Order: sequence, then structure tokens, then C-alpha cells
Amino acid sequence: MDPLLLIGAVTVGGVLVGGGVHFLPVGGAPAAIATATGVGTGTAMLAAGSAMTGLITAAAATGSPLWLVLLAGAAGSALMIAITMLVGNWVYIWGVGTVPVSAKVTKDPITGLEQEKYVTPGTEGHGIPTVCYVSGVIGGLLGGIGGGLIYYFLYTGLVELPAYALLPGQTTSVSAAMMAGIFALAVFFVNSVIASYNIGGTIEGFHDPKFKRLPRGVLGCIVASIVIGVIGVLLLQGGAV
Amino acid sequence: MSVAAGGGGTSAIDPKQTLALGLVGGLVLLYLVPFVPILGPLFGALGAVCAIIWGADAIARVASYGLGTGVPSIGYMSLAIGIIGSLAGIAGAIIFGSGLNVLLGPIFGVVLAMIIGAIVALVGTKILKMKIPILVRCTVELSGAAAISVIGFSAAIAGSIGMPAILTTVVSTGFIGLLFILNTMAIQHPFNACLGPQEDRGRTLKLAASTAFMSMAIVGILGIGVSKVWWVIAIIGAIAWFISISAFIQSSAEDAASVKWSGWWPEEEM
Repeated sequence: MDPLLLIGAVTVGGVLVGGGVHFLPVGGAPAAIATATGVGTGTAMLAAGSAMTGLITAAAATGSPLWLVLLAGAAGSALMIAITMLVGNWVYIWGVGTVPVSAKVTKDPITGLEQEKYVTPGTEGHGIPTVCYVSGVIGGLLGGIGGGLIYYFLYTGLVELPAYALLPGQTTSVSAAMMAGIFALAVFFVNSVIASYNIGGTIEGFHDPKFKRLPRGVLGCIVASIVIGVIGVLLLQGGAV
Repeated sequence: MSVAAGGGGTSAIDPKQTLALGLVGGLVLLYLVPFVPILGPLFGALGAVCAIIWGADAIARVASYGLGTGVPSIGYMSLAIGIIGSLAGIAGAIIFGSGLNVLLGPIFGVVLAMIIGAIVALVGTKILKMKIPILVRCTVELSGAAAISVIGFSAAIAGSIGMPAILTTVVSTGFIGLLFILNTMAIQHPFNACLGPQEDRGRTLKLAASTAFMSMAIVGILGIGVSKVWWVIAIIGAIAWFISISAFIQSSAEDAASVKWSGWWPEEEM
């Protein structure tokens, strides 16, 4: 396999992951006590959940054409983040007793509903309103495509090597799938934390003023992903003597 | 969100001591694996323990500045870098020729992890304009500690520091995913649990020793069926965990002496 193809896939995948994180409604510690909009945890936790689900669904499509692996990864990640936001909303609505509302916009850009008067004084919103939900699902789709892309190209490269070759009767090389999966997961984590540093820990989604920092975050992810891609090419050496 | 965002507090432990323990101690113990007959894997696990204590100290130094993203995120990132670096290192050391590749693998992996760590930290300070003066140094240290801990525990399971054994017993079995989360928790939990205005680095590192030895006991159990000395690793890990967690509880009680001696405030004033 051409090493440049792997470097390119890791770079594009890393940028999709890093860009996708900017869409997630990451509320951090304030959201955990319902004093800010978003899911009440950090980016690393949301990335862990959606990345692992996305990679498991992408790996389930191993051996399929590229578009199907990407679709499977996107569906898994988006589904996981959607379920996290939905269950989070149940807790915020029926557990804490707050209205899902954004403090960053006066009207929800999607539903057009009034936001400002429902924000509890002294807080920065609570729960996951429609615009954040839609934004989060877009983020999950982008992240899943990125993770699936890295997985697909590394798996394709590894399976050509003797150490990872298919055994008779097998349709999937387990060792190549595991290696590609853990590498894609690691790239996912690095880029999601870089994106998280860029947004200062919390963001509501594409309507948040912090979303304007996206180009800077994408530049950071490009630089980090190229280096990781170059070092990842060493995996194609196989290492088995 | 770190509540210890005062930045650069004084530490009772010299960073050079933990650096020496993790980098020199960790690597020396790791390199005993192929040379010590039978008990080799035990030294791999002990090397990983040294690296985890080093990593826990590095994360305590950098996260006391308040990263804005919480302590766990940098822990996950450093382990992600450590896994990329260590696997690429032991797989890619073959470029040095067939005679030296097995021996050069781990150190090549640690160096690669430190390079990725430096680049990511430079992205943080130069492109994302983060204002943490020790970010680069601490991320490099953390990435190195993460790489040594991953290779150390992998060698403890596989009984070898070469790629073929690690590929079949650690990567293909999925234990690598477990090591990812296990080592992240062992490195980031001590400071995440102890942070605050009266954080004492000695006490934090006692907790780091207990999380590291607990991970070692679990890694011993993972080696069932692969390693002949899995029970030695598990038992030594469990005994050392008991000693270090007792020391941590003891020093927590000592640091809470003012509450312990004078008691809680009277019930009616609450």
C-alpha cells in the first residue's frame, strides 16, 4: 500500500474528527449541575463513547466497500451521541426539572422558538435544545466518517502483510482489524482533545460564537494528524521477523 | 474542569526524581524482560508501574494550571499518543535491520511517542494559543510515560518485547483496548481524585502507586494461558497494592488530622 495514501487518510480522518467535535454540545462540569447547555461531561468522554461505537460498527462492515464502512462508522457514532443527548435530556427535563434552552442565541435557529426568557437567571442555559441536538448528530456523523476512513485504509494496508494475512477459512483478519481499530481510536482521541483545547472545554454547537474558532482547530488537527500519519506508516513495516 | 487552577503550586517531590524513576527505571526494568529467564515478564510489569508513577506526577504538574478540559482528557490523549508511538515503534524498528530490531523497538516507540507529544503540545501553545508554560515539557513526559506503561504491561502479558508475540497475545486478543483505558485511569485518577487547595504531591503519588499496582494485578490475571508467571505478577501486584493503598489512607488521615482531632462542628450550627 502506498504510504502517502495512509498519511492522507489519517490527515483527512483526523480533521473530520477534530471538526466534528466542534459540533458536539459539550457542556463540561457546569452542565453536569444543569447550569450550562450541553451534555454534562467533557469531550474525552463523549469521544470515547461515540468513537468506540463508531469503530465497532465500522469494523462490523470490514470487507465491504469504502462507502459502506464510512456509512457504518457514521451511523454508529451519530447513534451513540444521539442516544447520549436524548437520555441526558430525560435527566435534565424530568430529573432536574429544567427546560432545554440555549443561552447563546435568543431564538433557536432551527425551530424559531424563544430561548431567552426560559434561561434560569445565573445560568448559561440547560439541557440539549433542538439546535444543539441537530448539531451534535452532525458532529457524530463527521467523527464516525473520520474514524471509519482511518480504520478502512489501515486495515487494507495491514492485511497485505504476511504477519496479518488472512488464515484459511477466514474472511476477516482479526489482528489487522484490532490494530486498525486501536490506531483509529487513538487518532480519534488525540484530535478530539486538540479540538477540546481549541474550544476551551465547552461549546454548544454550530450556533455558538466559539464555533468561529473552527479554522484554528482544523489547522491544529491537520498538523498533528500528518505527524501521526507519518509515524503510523511504520505499522505497515509489520515488525514480524 | 480543574478546581486547582491556581497554577504552578510548589511540590514536595522534585520532578527530576519521578523523571528518573519513570524514564530510567522504567526502561531498565523493561529491558530486563528478554534477558531474565522465567521471571522476565514481572520486570516488564514493574517498569510499567514506575512509568505510571512518573506519568501521574507529570499530569499533576500540568493539570494544576487548569486546562479547561478536565484532568482526564490529557490522560486519554497521552495514552492515545503512547499507544500510537509504542505500536509504531515496535512494529517499525525492523527498519534498523533484523539484528537489532527487537531490542531497539521499545526505546524507538518511547521516542516516537515523545515526538508526537511534543508536536501536539506545540500545536496547543503555538496554534491554539494555550497559555500553560510547562505544557510542552509535561506532555512530552506524559507521552513517554504512557508509551513505557503500554509496552511494559504488553511485555508482562506476552513475555517478550517483540512485535510477533505482542501482536498475537495483546493486540489480537483486544487486551490493547483494555490497557488503553486501564493505564489512562491509573495515570489520571490520582491527581483527579486528590486535586484541590491542599493537594500534597507525596500523597497523590501514593495513590498513583496503588492504582499502578492494582493495574499490575489485573495485567497478571490477563496473562493466564500465555505467561507462566502470571500468578507471580498478580500476587506481587495485589500485595503491593495493599501496602500502597494503606499508606495512602494513612497519609490522608494524617492530613485530615485537624478534622480528626477536633471533630466536626456541632450539629445545631449546621
